[in-house]
Amino acid sequence: MTTVESFEPKIIGFLCNWCSYAGADKAGGMQLSYPPNVQIIRVMCSGRVDPQFVFSAFEKGADGVIILACHPGDCHYKEGNCRALQRHCMLNLMLEQLGIEKERCRLDYVSAGEGEKFSRVIGETVETVRALGPLRLDQ
Amino acid sequence: MKIGVYFCNCGSNIAEKISSAAVAEAASFFPDSPYVTIVDFICSEEGKLQFEDSLKAEQPDRVVVAACSPRDHEATFRSCLTNAGMNPYLMQVVNIREQIAWVTEHPGVATEKAIAAIRGAVCRVRLQQPLEKKQLEVCPDALVIGAGPAGMKAALSLAEAGRSVVLVERTPFIGGLPVRFEDLFPAMECAPCMLEPLMGDLLHGEHPGKIELMTMAELVEVTGFYGNFIAKIRRKPRHVSLHECIGCGECVEACPATTMNEFNSSASGRKAIDFAFTGVLPNAPFLMEEVCVRAQGVECRACKDACPMGEDVVDLDEESTVVERTIGSIILATGAGLYDASRVAGLGMGVLPDVYDAMQFERMLSSTGPTGGEIVTAAGAVPSSVAIIHCVGSLDEDHNPYCSGICCRYAFKFNHLVTAKLPGASITHYHRELVVPGKEAHMLLRHAAGNSSTTLKRYAAISDLAVTRDDSGTLHVCSRGEVTPVDMVVLCPAVIPAEGTDRLSALLDVSCDSFGFFRELHGRTDAAQSTLKGIYLAGACQEPMDIRSAMLEGMATAGHTLAGLQPGRTIEIEPIAAEVDENGCAGCRLCLSVCPYHAISFNSEQNISHVNAVLCHGCGTCVTACPAGAITGHGFTNEQIMAEIEGVLQ
Repeated sequence: MTTVESFEPKIIGFLCNWCSYAGADKAGGMQLSYPPNVQIIRVMCSGRVDPQFVFSAFEKGADGVIILACHPGDCHYKEGNCRALQRHCMLNLMLEQLGIEKERCRLDYVSAGEGEKFSRVIGETVETVRALGPLRLDQ
Repeated sequence: MKIGVYFCNCGSNIAEKISSAAVAEAASFFPDSPYVTIVDFICSEEGKLQFEDSLKAEQPDRVVVAACSPRDHEATFRSCLTNAGMNPYLMQVVNIREQIAWVTEHPGVATEKAIAAIRGAVCRVRLQQPLEKKQLEVCPDALVIGAGPAGMKAALSLAEAGRSVVLVERTPFIGGLPVRFEDLFPAMECAPCMLEPLMGDLLHGEHPGKIELMTMAELVEVTGFYGNFIAKIRRKPRHVSLHECIGCGECVEACPATTMNEFNSSASGRKAIDFAFTGVLPNAPFLMEEVCVRAQGVECRACKDACPMGEDVVDLDEESTVVERTIGSIILATGAGLYDASRVAGLGMGVLPDVYDAMQFERMLSSTGPTGGEIVTAAGAVPSSVAIIHCVGSLDEDHNPYCSGICCRYAFKFNHLVTAKLPGASITHYHRELVVPGKEAHMLLRHAAGNSSTTLKRYAAISDLAVTRDDSGTLHVCSRGEVTPVDMVVLCPAVIPAEGTDRLSALLDVSCDSFGFFRELHGRTDAAQSTLKGIYLAGACQEPMDIRSAMLEGMATAGHTLAGLQPGRTIEIEPIAAEVDENGCAGCRLCLSVCPYHAISFNSEQNISHVNAVLCHGCGTCVTACPAGAITGHGFTNEQIMAEIEGVLQ
């Protein structure tokens, strides 16, 4: 049995190219260490994040997913982040129906300048998913 | 499939955290067992050469570059692929510097994370397809809507650069609102004198052949897109030939029909055939069909007979025509209007005589206006006291929450002019806030504040003020119990979008903000662009603005056209765009509703959507929204992203 202490969750992070991916680069430029558990997948806009990507991530072994978008009103594509928010609300309902805790799929906003926020959000997400334990889809 | 992984050490930046040897060893177990080449600084001149030479020698089918952020050097590496004879889109960059080496404490853990990320990229790149930038022929000419300061400046700048411009103006004259004013803030310059050189250039300057001016005209239809718009413009009949009329006014003398003149705020009359106002350009009258006695069936040709230039100048049978023009860009310079001050209760607008809004007062001050520039009451008396009320309908949640920005400055201009025309007259300014920005306008405030017959009074809410009139005809401004008798009240109403802005917005599919002004693509970085590509915004059609800013925006929009559309040069269409599979499209039109750029159109005959690649920005929102999965997001397909997810999780 994996204990909470030794469990290292696998998390997929979908980052929009313009704000949050740049925010992750900013954290890098600031050399802010954060847990290594999140693998970043770059998309042009958070509005491109398809719920099937999230399901696929869980199916292929992810314990958590984080979607990071531009702040409301700042979307490079005007309103793609609003679509991401709408889809995230829908995802919350669907995940619960599938018996997956909705806390495993977080949506947050990180701007290009928010390196510190990015590293904090990653840290929090890893801790949240670690506390939930490994995702077991067969249950 | 042969895949090459190029691993950049970035000196010690990457190398001290991520073991290239471990990556190379792990790569042998990746799909297609890619070869791994280690480069010290792949972005350096030497590194790029090494990269290109290796690509030429190895001839891989796909390439993964594990280096810094793609935001830094994706374009650099794409050029290397092009130089090596490869399609530049057959590459995936893995960000192992900013997002792994620099943020992961333990080298072992960083290496493990990098291996997973590179595996994801290898799985993804196998599915990437060659993409091509398409080229599109464009028309370098422009359509400018509105011949006020912004539109005139845009048209002249474009003509100066050799571009053809169609300048469409709704009214019978050019010069916009300020040509109707006497003096302008901040320097009390004569408005028609200041605009005259610009208007003269436009009509008879060095590039007259380049500017096709259509007065009394409006846009009725636009099809096409950036680079290739087709505009239909309706020209209403002026009934007077602009080319042949000499502006003598003989026809006006002869005309038997009269009405009120809207261009003098209906404060004076005009004939059915008349000039908009004295000194107007183009210097020709226009016939108001609905006022002409011929509209009542009376046979009259007095104007035509009076014309000394012959039979052809006045054309009583002229009809409206629709003309078609091809242009590459559209500049909206439709200006602003004034909020109806009668909607602000208690101030007497439209109810009490001698209560005027700013436009009416501008015309009264103007030497070409209804009183020839004399400040007189309705009863013909010279007022000895004037109240000027600022912020009427501005900074007011019940009306317009924004500050209109220009009112305080013109209110103090009024102060200056009233003082000059009526020495000794007392002037009271009622203001909610005082906003006098810029390096010159403070002089106006100082002048007013230093004027012994001027009083500045601040009020908290417009509802604290009431304007009443007693039996003797004297007006009273009541402000929280304090009553000031005055002979005239001037209201400074909020600046609002010009009439017809909503119609143009619907016609062009250009968004408006919550106040009804045209919305900028970005309020700071792209303030002269509308939300639709190739349609630009100049002047007060996007927010309250002074003449200086409007002129600058006119130049800015000309700049956008000059930079984006060049004769003989095609525009490149980015291949990272969406494309509809016509066989898969179910015709639900969901994609149309989510596209922020109106890049998707619907063919109702075939029941399919179509993405215009010129307008598509490649965000991929429609790809995700399509319930039939019929839209491909080139460069970011579902299959590519799913393969990457699976690859990093293995």
